[in-house]
Amino acid sequence: MTYHPPHISRLEVEIADAPEGAVCIAPKTVRDIEAILRYCSERELVVQVRGGGTHSGYGSPTQPDFVLSMERMNRIETWEPDDLTIVVDAGARVADVEAALEERHQSLVMPERPGEATLGGVIAAGVSSLRRGRYYATRERVLEATMVTGDGRVVRSGGRVVKNVTGYDLHRLAVGAFGSLGVIVSVCLRLWPHPSGAATVRVDDLERASTIVWPLAVLEADGVVNVFLQGTEAEVDSQVARLGGSAAPGLVWPEDPSRDWGWSLRVPPALTSDAVRELPEGWSYLAIHGVGEVRAASSDVEGARELRAWAESIGGHLVVTRGDGTFDPWGSPPPRLDLQRRLIAEFDPKRVLNPGRLPGGL
Amino acid sequence: MSLIDDLRAVLGEDDVLDEPIELHLFSKDASLMRGQPACVAFPENTAEVSEIVKLAEAYGVPVVARGAGTGLAAGASPTAGGIVVVTTGLDSVDIDVDNRVAWVGAGVINLDLSKATRPYGLQFAPDPSSQSACTIGGNVANNSGGPHCLSEGSTTSHVLGMEVVLAGGETAVLGGMAPDPPGLDLKGAIVGSEGTLGVVTRVLVRLIPVEPDVRTLLMDFPSMEDAARTVSDVIAAGLVPASLELMDQRMVEVVENWLQAGLPTDAAAVLLAEVVGETEGVESQAEIISEIAWRNNTMDVQVAQSEEHRALLWRARKSAFGAIAQLATDYYLHDAVVPRHRLVETMKAVYDIADRHGLTMANVFHAGDGNLHPLIAFDASDPEVNKRVHQAGDEILTVALKVGGALSGEHGIGIEKRDMMRANFTEIDLDAQARLKECFDPAGIFNPTKVLPEGSRCFDFGGVKRELPDGVWV
Repeated sequence: MTYHPPHISRLEVEIADAPEGAVCIAPKTVRDIEAILRYCSERELVVQVRGGGTHSGYGSPTQPDFVLSMERMNRIETWEPDDLTIVVDAGARVADVEAALEERHQSLVMPERPGEATLGGVIAAGVSSLRRGRYYATRERVLEATMVTGDGRVVRSGGRVVKNVTGYDLHRLAVGAFGSLGVIVSVCLRLWPHPSGAATVRVDDLERASTIVWPLAVLEADGVVNVFLQGTEAEVDSQVARLGGSAAPGLVWPEDPSRDWGWSLRVPPALTSDAVRELPEGWSYLAIHGVGEVRAASSDVEGARELRAWAESIGGHLVVTRGDGTFDPWGSPPPRLDLQRRLIAEFDPKRVLNPGRLPGGL
Repeated sequence: MSLIDDLRAVLGEDDVLDEPIELHLFSKDASLMRGQPACVAFPENTAEVSEIVKLAEAYGVPVVARGAGTGLAAGASPTAGGIVVVTTGLDSVDIDVDNRVAWVGAGVINLDLSKATRPYGLQFAPDPSSQSACTIGGNVANNSGGPHCLSEGSTTSHVLGMEVVLAGGETAVLGGMAPDPPGLDLKGAIVGSEGTLGVVTRVLVRLIPVEPDVRTLLMDFPSMEDAARTVSDVIAAGLVPASLELMDQRMVEVVENWLQAGLPTDAAAVLLAEVVGETEGVESQAEIISEIAWRNNTMDVQVAQSEEHRALLWRARKSAFGAIAQLATDYYLHDAVVPRHRLVETMKAVYDIADRHGLTMANVFHAGDGNLHPLIAFDASDPEVNKRVHQAGDEILTVALKVGGALSGEHGIGIEKRDMMRANFTEIDLDAQARLKECFDPAGIFNPTKVLPEGSRCFDFGGVKRELPDGVWV
């Protein structure tokens, strides 16, 4: 048992599923985070950053001294509906922000079934909406980010405008970086307005979906294909008529497949159907056609080994999104690990933030 | 052996230029700032670029990549000397229709790419006004936008991977066709970095479907406020047109005098809106936009009646900068970007600044995304006028920052806006950016002196130190 100074210990909270031995703290301000990270850097203590805990099984596991929960930093700072931008604390839950945006028929275009996930968690894990084939990935929605680096510096990059080439895009590096450069504390995101018409159409055959030039999404879940449509009412009506099949009004998003083990299979977009065929017997899945992303669930670790070999042979990846840490979560390391390591060292020299969670032990 | 001999040994005699007239031709881009290159190299493949970078490091001279030289911020002006690497020989295009991507050489012209992909019903979304001249490499360097980026985002959203020559002349392939490659998104940091992190030689671009139908609407308004409110209301209605472009009266007069496109010269503001999609979709969207415009005092709504008519309207928009030659020999174009809801007040302040300095200004801009392009027509041979133009430019940027905007929407920082970076970011922000630059380019040879002001890092990261040649406007 270690006694931490009062400015740290006063932030302590209880988190039921926190890793054993870790002290859970929930900062209230950016200043708190600066102080915590300086303290941890000085003593080389390991910090696991936590949003809603949704992605805590994603990436290599860490043994933290502290769990830094962003639960208290959840304010919507400014929402400019006319600009299609919003500035939000990273600890805000995706579901809460979406509910607020619904008032003006706008959306973050982030995961549709976020559960407890926070904006910061979604961005740090680099997970995206099922609508990404039409409105692009989470990466493309982050216009500005403020981070506190591992050694306690507050760094902002980007801007609160939808188009910007002012300086280097550090905020893009933060997407999918699992907090390795800094704790994301607030972000400006690009929003999308949704027009009034929407429908979900079940089709018998994937081929039928190609009659729509650029649908919102074409999803295949355990053999069932649904085409998601959005537009003016006239537009959606005509598309529904053209598709045939059975149409439900509105967008009925499926849940991600769920078991003890979760997988993300990523392949060139044209090989999405091949990827579904390559899944071992008994795996449940949700495939995003036109994107090349297949979310799958199965405890069949042996089958995963073969699937990874296939994915990597075609330039893809098989990544563990939920597991017990006994299977290499990333597979073959990405190029230029040396450069990635140097970059992380500039932002987190003592390597206190989620060390080892990224591929290559970064 | 000299640098030039060594380069010729790699590239061939004719692919390295060093005659004074040749050096002068490549001493600047479309900005007003000139440098003095040691030589100009024309590589034809990535391996040659790699050799150039190795030689540059060995001789300790900068490498300045250049596409078509249409940049307006001196990003491709060799203001610290060195080797200008012209990428136009990197001109391969490999289209993968099934995956909706293409591997494209950095020197391929933006419009040529879209022409090549169009037979397959695909297009590259970024469409800057200079698209008939500018290259994909330049688009990547400046994260270019264009009218279409209102709905589809800037270049960065359309770059899935790249082949890039990094420090030490090492070639890396970053990203790829499969989504979400694990690890840090190094390519995301390189897009928009203005050639300061490496030389991008090939780009894996996303291609999007060409929508089957289109409606182009031209609306004229008695005031800029009415036009701006129309833009806001369209977005509030849940529509994101492919583009929403505004021109002020002065710009319309100039364009109309030259092109006779049928633009209304009596309106204070002219709004060009384009919606794309399936026929039912564009019909209903055009109807909604027209209703909104009438509610906001439009004097007339014209819908392009044919593909020729539509092309003429777009030509009027995209040739605005050329038409300005009627007013004066030179123009200085700004690129500030502001939150859309601050557009009208910013415009007023911009007009005031031009008036106060006695300058002729016209405006054409991407209203949908708040990217202003105030254009000052002037005679650059008069140093006193030059000074006033520069002063007005700084004031415009200051106004943009004050309303929560940024220095550049799509042209880049280069040298032109470099020293304003301190007004946009804190010292700690700039230090973090300088650390990124240093990680990629420890020797400081990639387009030094650009983007970050001197002293952004605790020490000067500029690397190769050179006196600036006379007459360089920094």
